[in-house]
Amino acid sequence: MSIAPMPEPETFGRNPKRGLSGRQKKRIAEFVQVALILIAIFVMLVPIIWIFLAAFKTHVDVYQLKLFFTPTFENFGTVFDDPYRLGEKLFNSTIVALVTVVFAIPIATLAAYSFSRFTLRGETLMLVIILATQFVPAVVIILPFFVMFRDIGLLDTRLGLILVNLAIVMPFAIWMIKGFIDGIPMDTEEAAMVDGSSRLQVIRNIVLPMAAPGLLTSAIFCFIIAWNEFLFALILTNKNAVTLPIGLALFKGEEGDLWNLLSAAGIIIMAPMFVLALMIRKYFVQGMTMGAVR
Amino acid sequence: MAEVKLKNLTKRWGDFVGVDNQSLNIKDQEFLVLLGPSGCGKTTTMRMIAGLEDPTGGEIWIGDRKVNDDLPKDRDVAMVFQNYGLYPHMTIFDNIAYPLKVRGTPKDETRPRVEKAAEQVELTQFLDRKPKALSGGQRQRVALARAIVRTPKVFLMDEPLSNLDAKLRVTMRAELKHLSRALQITTVYVTHDQIEAMTLADRVAVMKHGIIQQLGTPDEIYNDPANLFVAGFIGSPAMNLINGSVRDGMFVTTGGTRLTKLPTADRARAILGVRADDMSVHEAGQGDIDVTIYAFENTGESTLLTVQWGKQRVIARGDRHLRKEQDDVVGISLDPDHLYLFDPDTEQRIRM
Ligand SMILES: Nc1ncnc2c1ncn2[C@@H]1O[C@H](COP(=O)(O)OP(=O)(O)OP(=O)(O)O)[C@@H](O)[C@H]1O
Ligand SMILES: [Mg+2]
Repeated sequence: MSIAPMPEPETFGRNPKRGLSGRQKKRIAEFVQVALILIAIFVMLVPIIWIFLAAFKTHVDVYQLKLFFTPTFENFGTVFDDPYRLGEKLFNSTIVALVTVVFAIPIATLAAYSFSRFTLRGETLMLVIILATQFVPAVVIILPFFVMFRDIGLLDTRLGLILVNLAIVMPFAIWMIKGFIDGIPMDTEEAAMVDGSSRLQVIRNIVLPMAAPGLLTSAIFCFIIAWNEFLFALILTNKNAVTLPIGLALFKGEEGDLWNLLSAAGIIIMAPMFVLALMIRKYFVQGMTMGAVR
Repeated sequence: MAEVKLKNLTKRWGDFVGVDNQSLNIKDQEFLVLLGPSGCGKTTTMRMIAGLEDPTGGEIWIGDRKVNDDLPKDRDVAMVFQNYGLYPHMTIFDNIAYPLKVRGTPKDETRPRVEKAAEQVELTQFLDRKPKALSGGQRQRVALARAIVRTPKVFLMDEPLSNLDAKLRVTMRAELKHLSRALQITTVYVTHDQIEAMTLADRVAVMKHGIIQQLGTPDEIYNDPANLFVAGFIGSPAMNLINGSVRDGMFVTTGGTRLTKLPTADRARAILGVRADDMSVHEAGQGDIDVTIYAFENTGESTLLTVQWGKQRVIARGDRHLRKEQDDVVGISLDPDHLYLFDPDTEQRIRM
């Protein structure tokens, strides 16, 4: 028709003199996006892949960057045997993380509900203080903890670790759950009250079911935090209550670092996290999009 | 079965007054409509009756009990929320059944009652869905069904038909009117819609800025407005309000036109109110006064003539067969029996 190239349909009406059409630009943008994501994934996954490979290598193979080797499950057996006895640590970690979550979530839910729905005296201050505890470096308060625990006999006990972990996850859980409860429209609760529910019935019949995806997400986050907690467990335990992350230190022997065993233990630590991450992904989206039905 | 009494009820948020020292006696089995512009305190009044908002002052009585300190659940009211307030995690059936369930109604009694309520609001085929899968109007009907599934002492309905299409609104309006008569339950009903107010109400309370301007039957509100606000708010098109004065028993517009005889004392400033329906349209020269048509509208069942009247515009209703053009001149006369006079300073009605 004319000498000038026809503008792409999408760009019709925009400045046709620009070098690239809208569709081309979009394609380039998409390419850049994908490339960046791949780079990010690569950077994050390299250590994990390395560990994954090392866990199935023999002690001799570990130091060679071989991608192909005869895999062995021997390491996973060794770490559970004497002298490492990773089973005990696994048990400690599981108990500590689970009990922490079982107590943290109900308590945090009630606290979050109160913060969300009632006007409390000094509410903002309390919330700020709760948040501020998150920013206190653990090393600062670890000494008082050590002294207190020593005096009341909580050193190297699972109960002690549970208390510490509760203190660590509660502020986080309260803030997170408060966010989910804030998202439940007041109208829904008020309707339930007029319909004849007491405050507790409102919480049970309305708030809990509606916040369930959020509660589950928070529970998983708390579990992960408690499961990975290192510093307190390092200082406050030495034998009976040692958890998995501390257990890793066992593999620093006189013969040097036993990377293959270390890696096998690492995988045992990470495995539940992978499962939980998958669950979280599903519920996290649900929890976020669970909005008002107007 | 209970009367609702509000005594000097006040709601303030800081300096802002939502409801200002209002008293209102709603009779047993009465259908009372709260009518008023957006933000005038209708919902607030309703929420205080339901117990969802604490009054800053005053008393609320339901039956012979002062309920100020009662929890919402103990007031035995059912409410339709302006925003529905449905339970998104429950099916429609469970939504409607919730008030029964939580009050301990036996299971075998629940199902027939839920089904009946659903039928009354034409929702039967949606009982298994979740609220998310319904349209706005359908959700609103769920809220309605949830209220009528029980026989409470008082119904509180906050614009329960606002999101229905015109046809459904008419059906539901009739359904509600029938229900309220059949169940004989005291009802407080909030609406913007004057037709709803006029057709449903035993009495209407017209509110503005947290103050009840007039309380009366629909007839009184329409034909005997107490002040300028009620006169201008009720009726469609709104009542024409013409500035002028009264001299020698005649109303004279600010432009100097001697309009019509008024049996009242002279006053320097006055506002004359006349409804479009109380004006008649004639050929030029045959009415009280000749005017030029600014706009001519045919609504089907009648015609509306906006006419330029000195500096003011006035709307008159004409016969449905009347055909005129813009800029034509017509004669207008006012029905002397239906004229209202107001004081522009106090905005109160001047009785003649
Ligand atoms: N929690 C609150 N805090 C402060 N002001 C409020 C609060 N709730 C309502 N108001 C104010 O009180 C006034 C009355 O509100 P209300 O909801 O009763 O109006 P309404 O008559 O129901 O209006 P609409 O027809 O738009 O629903 C409004 O001006 C509103 O802004
Ligand atoms: Mg309202």
